[in-house]
Amino acid sequence: MANVAFDENQEIVKEKKTVKAFLNKFGSLIGLILLCLILAILNRDFLSLNNIMNIARQSSINALLAIGMLLPILTAGIDLSIGSILALSIMCMGIAVVNMGLNPIAGLIICVGTGALCGWVNGILLTKLRLPHPFISTLGMMNIARGLALIITAAAPIAGFPMAVQFLGSSFAGPIPVSFILVVIIYILFHLFLTRTATGKYIYAIGGNRDAAHLSGINVDRVLILVYTLSGLMSGLAGLVLVGRVNSAFPLAGLDYELDAIAAVIIGGASFFGGVGTVWGTMVGTLIIAVLRNGLNLMNITSDLQKTIIGIVIIAAVFVDVLRQRASKKQ
Amino acid sequence: MKKRLSLSLIFLILLGVVLTGCSNNDANVEAKSKPTIVVVLKTLSSQYWKFVEAGAKKAGEDHNANVIILGPSSEGSILDQVNLVEDSLTKKPDAMVVSPSQPPTLIPVFKKAKKMGVPILLVDTDADWDDKTSFLGTDNVTAGRQAGNLLAQKLKPGDKVVLIDGALGNTATDARSKGAKEALEKQHIKVVAEQPADSDKAEAEAVMSNILQVHPDINGVYCANDDMAIGAARAIQAHHLKVPIIGTDGTIEAVNSILKGDLAGTIAQKPYDMGYRGVVNALRAAGGKSVKKRIDTGVAVISKENAKKELSFLQKILGQ
Repeated sequence: MANVAFDENQEIVKEKKTVKAFLNKFGSLIGLILLCLILAILNRDFLSLNNIMNIARQSSINALLAIGMLLPILTAGIDLSIGSILALSIMCMGIAVVNMGLNPIAGLIICVGTGALCGWVNGILLTKLRLPHPFISTLGMMNIARGLALIITAAAPIAGFPMAVQFLGSSFAGPIPVSFILVVIIYILFHLFLTRTATGKYIYAIGGNRDAAHLSGINVDRVLILVYTLSGLMSGLAGLVLVGRVNSAFPLAGLDYELDAIAAVIIGGASFFGGVGTVWGTMVGTLIIAVLRNGLNLMNITSDLQKTIIGIVIIAAVFVDVLRQRASKKQ
Repeated sequence: MKKRLSLSLIFLILLGVVLTGCSNNDANVEAKSKPTIVVVLKTLSSQYWKFVEAGAKKAGEDHNANVIILGPSSEGSILDQVNLVEDSLTKKPDAMVVSPSQPPTLIPVFKKAKKMGVPILLVDTDADWDDKTSFLGTDNVTAGRQAGNLLAQKLKPGDKVVLIDGALGNTATDARSKGAKEALEKQHIKVVAEQPADSDKAEAEAVMSNILQVHPDINGVYCANDDMAIGAARAIQAHHLKVPIIGTDGTIEAVNSILKGDLAGTIAQKPYDMGYRGVVNALRAAGGKSVKKRIDTGVAVISKENAKKELSFLQKILGQ
């Protein structure tokens, strides 16, 4: 009898542990699923195929920016310039392709290249000029890139891109938007990069303890420059999707997008202190924001109230995270 | 552990309750009996768009339609507006009234609306898209011409005037300046200087001051919008001049300035009518009736005589 009771206890403890591990791993995913359930009950159009594909399309720009943002945040940094870099990249492409009549493929390279170049400058400013925090270098770049985007076209939008440029943002493979397929491919690549390569592990190590990483022989500067270059490159790529989606390039594109990207990364469980965060968490964070926006739009909730609700979700998501960490420390 | 779970649950339930409270459930129930018109404006957070919103709302009440009015948080939130139009289409409205912030950006979504058979009416700002049902807005050349005539009434042939334009390439303000110039020159009034001030108050003040250095003897000023007129008036006062200044738009601030005597008049657009007639014509289109492809929503000449009446009308719309 006693033996049986003992076994049962063991069983319960085990069960509790697995439930806990499961919740730790999939907490935000469960949040996303519950959110979808609530929205589906409140709105009969929410689960239509058309609407799900709308969400996939609408989330793809922020998904690309957020995965770029994940890297600086993993190193305990931040990149405030991604929205402005996006604008500068697409305006450069607009001038090259529409105004100068360059080959569209060259335009795509210019767009992504401009993004990467701006990101590289961010990295150089941080590591070689020894500016105290990436908040400062990227805040500077945020203003510089936005200013340049406005100057080079005298603030005028550029429309009339060829199909080759619009392909990423406007095409569908069956019902699935090509932009979302791009997101899935990029996320798989980033997952492999962060978990399977030495550089990926260095990124986590730098975020965990920069000095220790340095002492253990990691070339911290080189890794940081790469991190900001990749972040800028993703801005250029997100810009390509945006141009295809709205059929034009305009210098105020991407205004405040850095904030949505940061929100997605943080809701996805990454820590501002660096070293913690995953690619899939970022995906879930992006989807939570996109689903919430779309659902609130479907319910005719004003943009002002939407801002308030998203603010509450950011704080709540991080608070749940804080509670989780406190609980695991107690044990 | 339990505590955390229950906290998360409480949060989610609260969110659910908030959302249910916010959602327009009665609108969903009534949707079948009444036609639904979705209106997406550039933003709902500025005075001008409040007038459009008020007009659209009133049209819904008068014609027993379910009118939903939406807009991003600022005119700069361009992709938000695209998403808003796209999400609104999911609800299959009977027609939509849209004011595009950046017209080319909405054309892919408009094409989708066409495929779904949802008529699209544009208000205030036109888009280069042939399949729109209609465009309702101010005829800016006429507005400029009326302004030119109003200014000419206060002057005599041979007098010198200054024109202050909007940003280079802004089609609306360019058309106004063109109309004003035509009307003034017809009455043999000389335009001695014409310069852009980007529709901005402070910029117009600076531009006006510079012009006064070269032409201290001007007799009148036309500005392509009211903010620039108010800025120019400051510069004129600083130079101790007293000349008539005419603006365009009909903002509350401009009407107040007319009452104070700082401005001689303005040509008011009719944003309230744009909203009202936008919805009325959207209902016609939804009912399969024909709608004119271009509807001029008209302008009103506001001067000292009728400024008080205009002011109380505008304040009533805003519920002040």
